[in-house]
Amino acid sequence: MAVEDLDETARKAKRYHFDRHAPDYRHHFEEITRELHQTCPVAWTGTYGGHWVASGHEEVFDIARRADVLSNDRDLTGEGNGYKGITIPPLDTPYRAGFLEMDPPEQRHYRQALNPYLSPAAVARWTPFVDELARASLDEKIESGSVDFVDDLANIVPAVLTLAMMGLPLADWPIYCEPAHAGVYTPPDSPDLPRVRQQWLEMNIRLSQAVPEIRDNPRPGLIDALIHAKINGETPSDPDITGVLGLLIGGGFDTTTALTAHTLEYLSSRPAERERLSASRDTLLDPATEEFLRFYTPAPGDGRTISADCEIAGTSFREGERLWISWAMANRDPAVFPEPDKIDLERKGNRHTSFGLGIHRCIGSNVARMTFKRMLLAVLDRMPDYVCDPAGAVHYPTIGVIQGMQHLPATFTPGPRLGTGLDETLEVLQQACDEQRLAEPVTRRHQEPEIRTAG
Amino acid sequence: MKVHVDPEKCQGHTLCAMRAPGLFELSEIDGHSSAVAEEVPAAEEAGALDAARSCPEQAITVS
Repeated sequence: MAVEDLDETARKAKRYHFDRHAPDYRHHFEEITRELHQTCPVAWTGTYGGHWVASGHEEVFDIARRADVLSNDRDLTGEGNGYKGITIPPLDTPYRAGFLEMDPPEQRHYRQALNPYLSPAAVARWTPFVDELARASLDEKIESGSVDFVDDLANIVPAVLTLAMMGLPLADWPIYCEPAHAGVYTPPDSPDLPRVRQQWLEMNIRLSQAVPEIRDNPRPGLIDALIHAKINGETPSDPDITGVLGLLIGGGFDTTTALTAHTLEYLSSRPAERERLSASRDTLLDPATEEFLRFYTPAPGDGRTISADCEIAGTSFREGERLWISWAMANRDPAVFPEPDKIDLERKGNRHTSFGLGIHRCIGSNVARMTFKRMLLAVLDRMPDYVCDPAGAVHYPTIGVIQGMQHLPATFTPGPRLGTGLDETLEVLQQACDEQRLAEPVTRRHQEPEIRTAG
Repeated sequence: MKVHVDPEKCQGHTLCAMRAPGLFELSEIDGHSSAVAEEVPAAEEAGALDAARSCPEQAITVS
């Protein structure tokens, strides 16, 4: 007994009080990150039942790719391994977050079913669709000289595109958008929580109804792919499919919105950088995008359960222990990113971890990059002198789940509309989806859509 | 100079193709990378090194 206690004490010698759900964490993120890097890049913390926190880039790199000793699994019944998935503290939702809360082989089978819809080649085909969406969203505001980049652009475009890729009606986007965001930023003690929970429930009911609808009246897209997928040789259950859809929405909406909003806010505060980026977009847009991803790390980390006793990066882990992998803190490691707390649009060797590392690399990464870039270019072209209102900007109070923004109002020199408004454009886009079967996988459809641009 | 992408380590981050588009081709299906040719043209050597340093999985070796 005494030897085990000593072993525990020795193993967990590097301790740090780490509460990433506290507002304090957001305000002191850079300082906390430096402290952890300098004293304990892998630390034990007693918060949330006790777990490890990995913050050093080298340590995160060594640990995150060890799918052999790390599990993402959430054991819903409690009769299996008892593992609690990727959130710390664990959620009490009755379904897994799709394949992100699964281990191979079933995790791999899901990804194989969806890859042909989300590869770089597949995503590139959607560029004209996204450009039309951004055009219409900005057209709603362009004559007024006033916009909220979250409400009027960055919330809309990812939502509509995701529905299009799924094969769901584009006009339904508000049903999914509000709960997807509010579900993340509403604190557990908020009086809004019951209403937000209700919206979330309605969204999930709608999603679960969509599955048999598309099974009965087939439409191409991600839902169709899941209906026909073979997971360990079997068709996935409807609840499992709904879980995957929830993952694609949860993973895709808020994160892209966050990246876009933070970037637009930053560029407003640096007009010279903004102009340089716009003028040199052919060379700067790609590295700048990676730098914004690194600096703002919208999805700041993920939880894991150690599935076998092991030693990695100088730390001894025991089976069953929980671990928080901090992509956000690894992205500020000066050993890999010189002057890590500065944004360098031309940063080289930018091997950031914002889409994760290893087999769970964000399957939507190509969607995120394309959508972000097209929205950014639309703003730079249509409202190049925009000024964000610091008093109106609303950041999420805590950054434990998503480092996001709720509102980002700005003013700009008004300009001309280029086409029809959002609702009419959604009708045109819906028609393009239906007639040209845009949501087919890239293995079945290579061409870009022909979109009748109004005006 | 030779360049190689380890298919076991590549996870389809696509940074290599961004940094050195002439040297890497990405799978249409999952975006995983492979070197267009083992031998790197002299003019592209800097790009090859840049790509290797940009890979989050450190899947690219240059020799």
